[in-house]
Amino acid sequence: MTALDLTAPRSGPFDRMLADAPLLTRTGVLILLALVPMLLAMQIDPRLYQNTAIWLKPAKFHLALAVYVLTLAFYARWLPAGFAGRRAVRWFSAYAVFCILAELVWIGGAAAMGTGSHFNVADPVMSALYSVMGLFAVSLTALSLVYGWGILRNRDSGLPPAVHLGLWLGLVLTLPLTLVTAGTMSAAGGHLVGPAGAEGHGLWLMGWNRLAGDLRVAHFFATHAMHAIPLAGLAAAAVLSGRAATRATLAAALAYVALVGFTFWQALQGQPFLPGLG
Amino acid sequence: MTPETLFQGANTLALGGWIVLALAPLAPVWADRIAGRAIPLTLSLGYAALILAFWAPAEGGFGTLADVQRLFLTPEVALAGWVHYLAFDLFLGAWALRRACRQGIPHLMMLPVLGLTFLFGPAGFLAFAALSFTWRLRAPTESPA
Repeated sequence: MTALDLTAPRSGPFDRMLADAPLLTRTGVLILLALVPMLLAMQIDPRLYQNTAIWLKPAKFHLALAVYVLTLAFYARWLPAGFAGRRAVRWFSAYAVFCILAELVWIGGAAAMGTGSHFNVADPVMSALYSVMGLFAVSLTALSLVYGWGILRNRDSGLPPAVHLGLWLGLVLTLPLTLVTAGTMSAAGGHLVGPAGAEGHGLWLMGWNRLAGDLRVAHFFATHAMHAIPLAGLAAAAVLSGRAATRATLAAALAYVALVGFTFWQALQGQPFLPGLG
Repeated sequence: MTPETLFQGANTLALGGWIVLALAPLAPVWADRIAGRAIPLTLSLGYAALILAFWAPAEGGFGTLADVQRLFLTPEVALAGWVHYLAFDLFLGAWALRRACRQGIPHLMMLPVLGLTFLFGPAGFLAFAALSFTWRLRAPTESPA
């Protein structure tokens, strides 16, 4: 019988991630598997919450958090040798994974019950849960800072300087940018800034509001600093060399922070992001 | 899709699994993969989706028999309950067949057990436990098989 030979050494990109960050990789796979029954439930569940299918939000969070942990698992190869094995890093990673799973159970559970998760302060239990989940959200996002710090300290990453810079800078910026944008959204009690009744008209795929300010836009760009700035470093290293490449990466990072700042300001003014779209 | 259509689909799928188990000696490895894994997992996926979508809004609960009966007044929840039977009975049938194979119980003797599990799951489990027990009985002088 020619079944899968599990003992043979394999080496794909996924195997590398599994070897470098087994907990995060497995967490990502588990979250994606849990998305399957949820997407099926979305097909048969007639319930709406604020004019969108009730399972849309948990499905988006599953996808987003899977991308998050799998990205960190992919970046783990550029941590200094032995960094991931340190007791403090191991414990913090485990804590972050616990926070991720708790967030997903909370968001999925609220959807199953037909109620809100974030901004749900109507009921004392949900209100208390929302506070705890805020702390968990900060904790899980802080793992990107830990990774950024580790990669910054790695003098032996084997990466071109511009890529190395983009990688750690993107990771280090993710937490502060997310804290400001998502924290403001949380304090505002909702993602919309603008006239009431503007709900339900969203940009394709992203769902960003087309009529009012939507703080989720800035949160999206803020948290994707961990992808955008490393990609800028990669692009800079491909077309430029030496100091020019690192300078271009730095400039791109500044421009990206400015983009986050602009979308944040725009939403706070009650203006939609790129209203010409969708 | 209406609950009735989903019910027919789930029944057909489960029946296919039982036919595969009945014919298992033709391709034991694939029979187990299909009837012991793929079909029970597919049914479980459908069950999970039904529960996610319809359990919380349904009336009733697990606390009293009357609560359970009220739960089943919601057609989608009753369907989920039925799919639960289908998935677990088939999984149990495949498990029993694997055990029987290891014990050397002839497939012919397993056919009534499978039939009973198909129709009345736990009664089939009892029948298999009894068959498996008696199959192991040997006089002390006999050498173990």
